[in-house]
Amino acid sequence: MIEVGLTFVLLLLVGMPIGYALGLAGMVGMYTLGGGGRFLAMAPERFFAGLDLFTFLAMPFFILAGEIMNRSGITDRLIGLADALVGYLRGGMAHSNMLASVMFAGLSGAATADAAAFGNTLVPAMVKKGYSRPFSCAVTAAGSIIGPTIPPSNLMVIYGSLMGVSVAGLFAAGILPGLLICVVCMAVIAALGRRLNLPKGTQRPSLLLIFRAFKDSLAALVMPVMILGAIVGGIATPTEAASIAVFYALIMGVFVYRKVSLKDLYEMLVRTARITGIIFLIIASASIVGWWMTFNQIPQALASGFLEISDNPAVVIALILALLLCIGMFMDINALLIILAPVLAPLTIAIGMDPIHAGIMIVLALNISLMTPPVGACLFVLASVTGEKIERIARSLWPFLLAEVAVLFLVAYWPDLTLAIPRMFDLAAK
Amino acid sequence: MQQASAVHDITATLDSLSKRLATLTDKACVILLALLVIDVWLGVFARYIWPLPITFMEEAARYLMIWVALLAVSSCIARREHIGMSMLFVMLPAHVRRFLLLLVDVLGILFFLLLFLYGIGMVERGARMMTMIFGLTKQIPFAAVPVSAALAAMQLVLVASRDQLKLAQDRNLVVCP
Repeated sequence: MIEVGLTFVLLLLVGMPIGYALGLAGMVGMYTLGGGGRFLAMAPERFFAGLDLFTFLAMPFFILAGEIMNRSGITDRLIGLADALVGYLRGGMAHSNMLASVMFAGLSGAATADAAAFGNTLVPAMVKKGYSRPFSCAVTAAGSIIGPTIPPSNLMVIYGSLMGVSVAGLFAAGILPGLLICVVCMAVIAALGRRLNLPKGTQRPSLLLIFRAFKDSLAALVMPVMILGAIVGGIATPTEAASIAVFYALIMGVFVYRKVSLKDLYEMLVRTARITGIIFLIIASASIVGWWMTFNQIPQALASGFLEISDNPAVVIALILALLLCIGMFMDINALLIILAPVLAPLTIAIGMDPIHAGIMIVLALNISLMTPPVGACLFVLASVTGEKIERIARSLWPFLLAEVAVLFLVAYWPDLTLAIPRMFDLAAK
Repeated sequence: MQQASAVHDITATLDSLSKRLATLTDKACVILLALLVIDVWLGVFARYIWPLPITFMEEAARYLMIWVALLAVSSCIARREHIGMSMLFVMLPAHVRRFLLLLVDVLGILFFLLLFLYGIGMVERGARMMTMIFGLTKQIPFAAVPVSAALAAMQLVLVASRDQLKLAQDRNLVVCP
């Protein structure tokens, strides 16, 4: 058992891509089972079986829909609407950034897409209006994690598919925590407003202006409502809803906004395939390790190890959150979810957590680690897009990080907050 | 001087071969992804708009998805896009980084070669298994593993050789695995 763990950690530390490191560690595990390496013949079968799930299909479709909507210039329209609604407040553009993140969340399932889109558009605009660049990046990073918390979310599709938990239930459960993060971060901006002397907003807009901004972005606002309505209402599966989202985005991009050409479409398909390839290699390789772990009953051993420390659910939850936040600082969250979900899920069941509640808690903890130094992906994206140093962004990020960790603990210890919407649609136990 | 020029030419050839292979793979991915999108749309159409006796949609979609994702693995290698922890790697001295890059690439090639070799056995066994809906042997979906592993290994050989030559010429260059 030690040799497999050691192989994985060593390969990871020397910079080997996680997909290869997991696959090789799994193969070492299979070889050590004996039989002159005859178990190795199972590696490609596990590799294939790890991907052979219909629910995974939703992921490339959501990625493609997000790509098309983004290329259609929809981001600017959403920012326009957010600015019309809250831009007049002190720190108005920071508030707009946060609100636009909520609207953008319904189109994109990945935080890095949000960070890249807003880092290119909103951060320069905020700097022009007198906000400091590190603060503008910090607000964008804090808002970007709303993307994979409010559905659609790639992480929820992965968790639901791997753990056999309803993706529709997870999507419904992500709504309130996502909105809560937005509210809490806006409160932080309001609290920092005078201390940091954030610029005052423009004049309060007229109702006509708000109506126009709303009309301009209606096409983008309809999409998440349509996706969620179809999935949560039980009308369509996540994969079907995601394919409808692609169809809708394509019609909007090609015929309504006229911003998507055939060449763009080719590039978007290539990008979708590549992002899918990166994530699916990790999933497939993790499946090899997963088989070895199951063979050796490691998830059960780890779960009982955790329970030996304490069988108090509150303590176990705190331990899980500490583990996720700490490891999340150093590792890609997709990989982390794929590796740790099979270990942590039995533990959450053992302490009596609802599977949907546990899923949202794990996904949210991983999302928060996207903005923690040293390896927070959103920080890297923002640093590369804006040219700001990670250390300076991280310094401005602390108030938002603390606020979001507080939301995480609220979500973890107050299941009703997460489960209220799934229960309304009979997607979770009462 | 002549030797530097020869190395430059070899690097350019390796780079060009890697790009050509990546473009070819990208094109195959785009065609399969477009088919996948149409397939799922057809399923939605048949379920909600015009009831058609189509049963292959789900199975075809799953296998197309696997083919697209696994083929794209080699395309990502061409751009060194696979996610890893480069935090410690970038802090190391240039000569250690170069050695580790070579080591990681060789181990990566080994991983894909093992998948390829054992994958061929899986495809052979697939001849005795049938897909649920199509009633075809599982050889076609299973072939995604050895085919993509072979492509990935080839791409990694090209990229690794190219980058080692580049690093030999420019000591300040940083290439992460």
